Amino acid sequence: MRKIIYKFSRPTYLDFQATTPTDYRVLDAMLPYLTNQYGNPHSKTHSFGWETEKAVEKARSQIANLINTQPQSIIFTSGATESNNAALKGLYGFYGKQKNHIITTQTEHKCVLDTCRYLEDKGVEVTYLPVDSNGLISLQQLQESIKSNTLCVSVMLVNNEIGVIQNLKEISRICHQRGVYVHSDMAQAIAKIPVDVQDLDIDLGSISGHKLYGPKGIGALYVRRKPRVRLQQIIHGGGQERGLRSGTLAPHLCVGFGRAAEIALTELPYDIQHVDKLYNRLLTGIREKIPQIQINGSLEHRYKGNLNVSFAFVEGESLIMAIKQVAVSSGSACTSASLEPSYVLRALGVKEDMAHTSLRIGIGRFTTEKEVDFLLDQLSGAVRKLREMSPLWEMHQEGIDINKIEWTQPH
Amino acid sequence: MIRLFSKYGASSSKMVTFYFKNKDNSLTKVTSPIGQNLLQIAHKNEVDLEGACEQSLACSTCHVILPKQLYDKLPQPVPEEEDLLDLAYGLTETSRLGCQVKVDEKFENVIIQLPKATRNFYVDGHKPKPH
Repeated sequence: MRKIIYKFSRPTYLDFQATTPTDYRVLDAMLPYLTNQYGNPHSKTHSFGWETEKAVEKARSQIANLINTQPQSIIFTSGATESNNAALKGLYGFYGKQKNHIITTQTEHKCVLDTCRYLEDKGVEVTYLPVDSNGLISLQQLQESIKSNTLCVSVMLVNNEIGVIQNLKEISRICHQRGVYVHSDMAQAIAKIPVDVQDLDIDLGSISGHKLYGPKGIGALYVRRKPRVRLQQIIHGGGQERGLRSGTLAPHLCVGFGRAAEIALTELPYDIQHVDKLYNRLLTGIREKIPQIQINGSLEHRYKGNLNVSFAFVEGESLIMAIKQVAVSSGSACTSASLEPSYVLRALGVKEDMAHTSLRIGIGRFTTEKEVDFLLDQLSGAVRKLREMSPLWEMHQEGIDINKIEWTQPH
Repeated sequence: MIRLFSKYGASSSKMVTFYFKNKDNSLTKVTSPIGQNLLQIAHKNEVDLEGACEQSLACSTCHVILPKQLYDKLPQPVPEEEDLLDLAYGLTETSRLGCQVKVDEKFENVIIQLPKATRNFYVDGHKPKPH
């Protein structure tokens, strides 16, 4: 009998923290601005400009509605990385003479940490707050770290690697009592959990378009207007976007972002329900089929679409390669290129051997039950095979405590 | 009888004296009746403060920097003024639009700093005349 060999088809996508597929409704909204309506939204003298300006302003209000603020508080940027840079460098540029202390956490996204490192070179003092084993910062420690020259506190709302949700409302309350600005990288939170910037009382917030089924290359920065937050712009020019971000806006990207935000607002309850259901299926499945696992990050304060799991005695990269037909990530996309184990997991207190075994599974709007079942199948099979090959697993089975072994010999 | 055509006609004869610090750090002493705004006073005394939109709250070229004690004592600017200040060159925490600030006794002997430039590009050294 002839064996029919199927060509390897595209893997199942389960890496929704890295990026999300562009919703087709978003693509529909974008197409006119990539074909017929090509005007520059800042052209004030003719209808080509007026029509694209109208579309951009509509998108702005769609995004503002999603986070419960006015459209004038939203500045379009090229993404959350630019928004984070603009917020921190902007605050320092404007208020830096008297206020040159910044507080952030050890689990922030690299763009925040790298910006803080850059500002340290410029003479800013930065406090990196540690997190507990659940991934949450201590409010007591935050209170104690605030000094008279503290400029701002930057804490991400939902962590991209472990999905943990920080208590931002309480953080804002503590900071505003002491006259400190609050910035939050909300890229992984928007359209995943309800975000109300008035309720959270933050001053600056970064949003990323491609995390909410919108196009890549666009983001936004929420800049509070009452009381007004002033920033020194990092991109100078003609003064677009309230002088904070000069440059011609891309109508197709803005419109796509706006439509994605509008969809997110109406579909958020359904999305949350869908993700919750799949998360329960996934978690139960992993716990049943695979022994010796550890979930990284608080199970209670968590966005359920992000599950970071460590599989003892199995190496993470080889596991990912063993489950070729599923696309997941180890750590986060932006750290995939570097060889160091995740600094987020290290901050949680996860030992290096477990950090190397971790996998991040992301569930989203378009994930199906079948995909979750497929992942569980592949994962349990691969973990079993890899453990059979693992001498450490063998030793564990025999009851030897791995931590007590002296691996190196003096010579 | 010549009737002064001015919305802000001199309301009282009480005068106040203060200084404008120019871009080259020289001081210009000015004396004005109370109730005039800073832009009018600057134009009367040939101080280099541009006022492109003629006090209609549509530009940021009359941007001035006040000393902190004086800034704190003045009433809060309206959101429209704040929006325009966002666009001003060399913005500081104590910046105001000169056409929106009326002088009174609090201004006695203060130094009002002019910013180094405005949004309009005069990198060739051109100085616009008041109109």
